[in-house]
Formats: sequence, structure tokens, C-alpha cells
Amino acid sequence: MRQSSLALNVTGLSKSFGGLHAMKSMDLQIQDGERISMIGTNGAGKSTFFNLLAGVFPATTGRIELFGEDVTTLSTAKRAKKGLARTFQTSSLFEQLTAAENVFIALGGVEFNGASLRLALPSSKNILVENRWSRVERLLERVALGDQGSTMVANLSHGEQRQLELAMALALQPKLLMLDEPAAGFSPAERAHLVKILRELPQEITLLLIEHDMDIALATANRVVVMHDGEKILEGSPQEVRSSARVREIYLGGSLDDVA
Amino acid sequence: MSTDQTTSMRRKPRLGAVLWLAFLIFAFAFPYLVDRPKFWIPNIGIKSIWLGVVAMSLVFLNRYVGLLSLAQMTIAGISAYGAGFVIVKMDGPIMMAIPIGLLVGTLAGFLIALVAVRTKAIYFLMITLAIGQVVYSFASQSIEVTNARRGLAPIKREDVGFMHFTELHIFYYVALIVAIGCYVLCRYIAATSFGLALQGIKDSPERMSALGYNVNRYRIAAMTFSSFIASVGGIIMVFDRAQVDPDVVALPATLDILIVAVVGGIGSLSGVFFGALVLTLLDNFSQNLTERYMTLTGLVFIAVLLFAPAGLAGIGKQLSALFARLKGPTIQDAAEADPPQTSPAATAEDAQETQDELSKGSQR
Ligand SMILES: Nc1ncnc2c1ncn2[C@@H]1O[C@H](COP(=O)(O)OP(=O)(O)O)[C@@H](O)[C@H]1O
Ligand SMILES: [Mg+2]
Repeated sequence: MRQSSLALNVTGLSKSFGGLHAMKSMDLQIQDGERISMIGTNGAGKSTFFNLLAGVFPATTGRIELFGEDVTTLSTAKRAKKGLARTFQTSSLFEQLTAAENVFIALGGVEFNGASLRLALPSSKNILVENRWSRVERLLERVALGDQGSTMVANLSHGEQRQLELAMALALQPKLLMLDEPAAGFSPAERAHLVKILRELPQEITLLLIEHDMDIALATANRVVVMHDGEKILEGSPQEVRSSARVREIYLGGSLDDVA
Repeated sequence: MSTDQTTSMRRKPRLGAVLWLAFLIFAFAFPYLVDRPKFWIPNIGIKSIWLGVVAMSLVFLNRYVGLLSLAQMTIAGISAYGAGFVIVKMDGPIMMAIPIGLLVGTLAGFLIALVAVRTKAIYFLMITLAIGQVVYSFASQSIEVTNARRGLAPIKREDVGFMHFTELHIFYYVALIVAIGCYVLCRYIAATSFGLALQGIKDSPERMSALGYNVNRYRIAAMTFSSFIASVGGIIMVFDRAQVDPDVVALPATLDILIVAVVGGIGSLSGVFFGALVLTLLDNFSQNLTERYMTLTGLVFIAVLLFAPAGLAGIGKQLSALFARLKGPTIQDAAEADPPQTSPAATAEDAQETQDELSKGSQR
């Protein structure tokens, strides 16, 4: 395995909140272009893992390599500039702005100059601003929000807000895309649509997905990581995970479709 | 809510807009409406203008960046001291004093931002307050720079070219136009890509960093801009008062700005001028009614918080909502009670409106 082909290389990563060990010595290697699903009961440490990767809080121990580069101590913004995009488990959109403005802002962080003092209006005559708005339109269409651009985020349905989250993550043109329960609260139709969007992602995007829904996990992932109590207890193909006695035991024989 | 509903909501002539136009006309006619211009213009008119401008810088930070800074009066005071120093200690012309004052105030704001930016919420408030106290104790002790308690005086207005600043009317109109310029500038900044990013930071700083934004750098830039606005207020103040002493950076002055911002409506950039007018009127006339000026101001403050939490600027909206309810409640009316105001489309539209109103006003 060549070092340079690793999108993510996590070694001995741990995180304690006071006395609570939310993450205990995690190791995970992800190849470029892989599709990984992460499952586990509530409180297993999945979101904590995302937050550590994104740099929301510092790791207690361990090392994070992104595309062969040590980013363990880099700021969140710098990691984003290296190609890491993530969505949040609880929606944290800009509520007082429209859907289109949300994506417009998302485009400004990495690629364009977000500090520009030009008017950011769709009617603006500036070529850079115009170009950015047309990209906003395309991103919204990609997540089926093409006709919702001028709607205030607060007036979007839950499902639409999650789709908007995805559009904002895609705006970064990420190399590694991390989605935290993107289908939570989705209707079956919305789920089917999400699977379609995820499958249509360009092959070079590496995907790390926290997902409740085993069908979505199966349909999109080539590898599943099972978390429990801050530890990785299993890693394998979706079929291996489905048939694992250890996993069944942890979920008390409940149907794996309920596994969060 | 559908898109066309949002636009139709915006198109409706609002009672608020009418009130603003009336207030603007009143502001331009003000020097000719009062019986004793020598008292009213400086003590009520121009004082309301600079109080409003300084409070506007506070509201800008609060509304678009989500920071509550108590250092805005301190920054205004530093710019006033800067201009006063050039005039009193260096015997410089006011055309040199003004830019130096603005520069010193803005720079001070930038340095305060560097110190305060890493703190959040109540800590940010406390640190800006503490910095204000440091500046106050320096101002009241340094003989060489600030003349300690005596302050820098006299700071006289001079005629510059065809601008007869010594003329009270001229000074008033220049101050008024500068204040409106500050307002338009704030609205403009809020509608740029930079302003949108600031509003994103207000709503969700975590997400902004995840999108690759250096949140602290944006906060520092916004605080520096708002310091410039506060400095403009400080310059108007120093020529209104004809002197600068430690009182301008003392705690009561800081609290005045907070009161003006809250009474005017903490989310409204233009409401501050209502708040400022209320405060100057109370300040000058409550002595006739009661010895307890502070008590009366405090009571007005509490009444506003209780009955008009969106401040005086929100009263127009509250009234429209009330009328609508009397006519029979509909879902749309409920939505109109608090229309989201931060959309840049609305922002630019309103800025345009203001410019229109402005040109109308100056033709009168
Ligand atoms: N910022 C935090 N401060 C303190 N405890 C936290 C924090 N974030 C997560 N935790 C704790 O860490 C554990 C793992 O949480 P989390 O990673 O959110 O689980 P999951 O996403 O797998 O449901 C939980 O016990 C949670 O309470
Ligand atoms: Mg979680």
C-alpha cells in the first residue's frame, strides 16, 4: 500500500471529555476514492470522530494524515482548504439567509475570495459574482433544490435542509466528503434520492458516511466500520458486518436495520 | 412559504417606511423647527447624530457578526482624543486633525479586536468593557497626552474653504449627511460577499470554519470597520463638545451608547437615531421634571425592553401587525410580524430606498 494513495490515515486517535473517553485509540485507513459507512449505537463516538477529523476540537492523542499530510494540529479552515468537507449531524445552516445565499457563502471559503467587497447580488454585473451565482444554481439543482433558491432556510422542510447541507459540502469540491447522518428524518423517497446523489458522486471523491439506514450504507459503501463505546469493533464488507455475531450481540439480536 | 409570497411581502408599502421618510424630513427641517437653535442644534440635534453613529457601529457588530461590544464609545473617544491632540497640542489644522483622529480610532479598534476576538459572548462583553476602563484611567491620568482630568480644550471649528463649519447650521447638515453616509456604507458592506460571510459567522461560526473561512480574521475585519464608523461619531462629537475629557470614555458614556442601541432597536441600523433622540431629550429636559435623571432613563429603558423588545424601530412593524390583526388574522400577517430582514436583496433594496429618500430630502 503506497502512502500517497491514502486519503485518510488515522493512528492511535483518542479523545476524552473530562473523564469520558469518547474515542479510544482509533485506527483507520481509507484509500482514495473509497466509500466507507460508519455505524454504531448512539454515543458510540461517530460524531466525535468526525469532529476530530475536521479539527473542531484537538485530539487527546494520536495522529491524523489527510492525503499523506499530517494535519493533526491544523485549524478547521486549513483542513477544509486541503479538500475536507463535512456536514453536521444537527443542521447548522444560516437560518436567516436564503438557500442560494447559503451556497453562495459555501463557495467563498475555499475557492473564491469570500472577503470581496463587491455586492453579492444575483443581479450584480461583476463577472466573478455572476459566475459564482450560476455555480450556486447548478449545485442547488444537483440536490434537487433548483426551485428553492430564494426560500429562507427557516422555511425549508427538514429534508430540504439536509439536501442543502449536502450542496454546501459539495460546493467545496471536496476530495474527502464526510456526511453525518444525512438521511436522518428522511422519507423513503428522499432516501432513494439521496442514494442516487451519492452514487453519482465523481469516483475520485472519497466518501465517509455515518448512516442509520443499513440500506443506504449497503448501497453506497464498499466497506463498513462498526463503532461501539468509542472503539472500532469491526471493519469489513457490508455482508460481513450483517452476518457478524459480535454485532448482533451488541444490538441484542435486534434487526440490523435498526442499527444506528 | 413560497418565493412569490416573500417578494409580495416586501413590495407592500410598509408603515415603517413611511415613518422613516417622515423622520428623515424631520431631521432635515429640524434646525428651522426649533425656537432656540443655539441650544437645540448642538445639544439635541448634533448630539443625537453622533450618539446614533457610535451606537450604529455597535448595532452593526451585533446584527451582522453577533458580537456585543462595549468598546465602541471608547473607540469614538480615542478618535476624539486623536483629533483634539492635533489641534490643541500640535496646533494643527482641522483638515489634519480629522483624518488623524479617524486613523487613531480605527487603529485602536483594530488592536482591541486582536485582543478580544478569541473570546465569546459574555467574555467578549467583559473584555471590551475592561479595555474601556483601561483607556479611561489612562485618559484621566496622562498629563502629556490627554491633559488628564482637564482634558483637551478648546477645540474650535474652523471654516474650510467654502464649508463654513463655524456656522452651526452647516455643521449640523454636514454631520447629518455624514451619518446617513455611514448608514448607507453599513448596508452596503452587509450586502457584499464579505457581509454575507459575516452573517454566516453570526449564525454558525463552526460551519464557517468547516467551509474554509478563517473566522477570527473576518471578525477582526468587521470590528475594524465598525471602529471606523465609531471614530466618525467621535469626530462629530469632539467638534460638538468643543473639547474632549475623560468623561467621553467613562462608563456612563458607554452605557448611554448601549441604551441608545437598545431603545432604538438592537437589530436596526437606523433605529439608533430614534434612540439617540429619546436619550438627548431625556438628558436635557428630565431635570425639569425630576431630579432623578438616571432613574427616568432607566425606566424608559425598562419600558422599551418590556413593551417594544425590537426597540422603537420595531414599533412600525408592531403597529402594522396590530392593524392586520384587527382586520382579521391570516397566516401571512403572522409571517409579517417578524419578516426576516437580513436577506441581501432586501438590504440593497433598502439601501437604494435610503439613497432615494436622501436625494429627495436634500432637494427640499
Ligand atoms: N463536546 C462534547 N463535550 C462532552 N462530551 C461530548 C462532546 N461531544 C460528544 N460527547 C460525548 O461523547 C460520546 C460520543 O458522542 P458522539 O460522538 O456524539 O456519538 P455518536 O455520534 O456516535 O452518537 C457521548 O457520550 C457524548 O455525550
Ligand atoms: Mg452523532
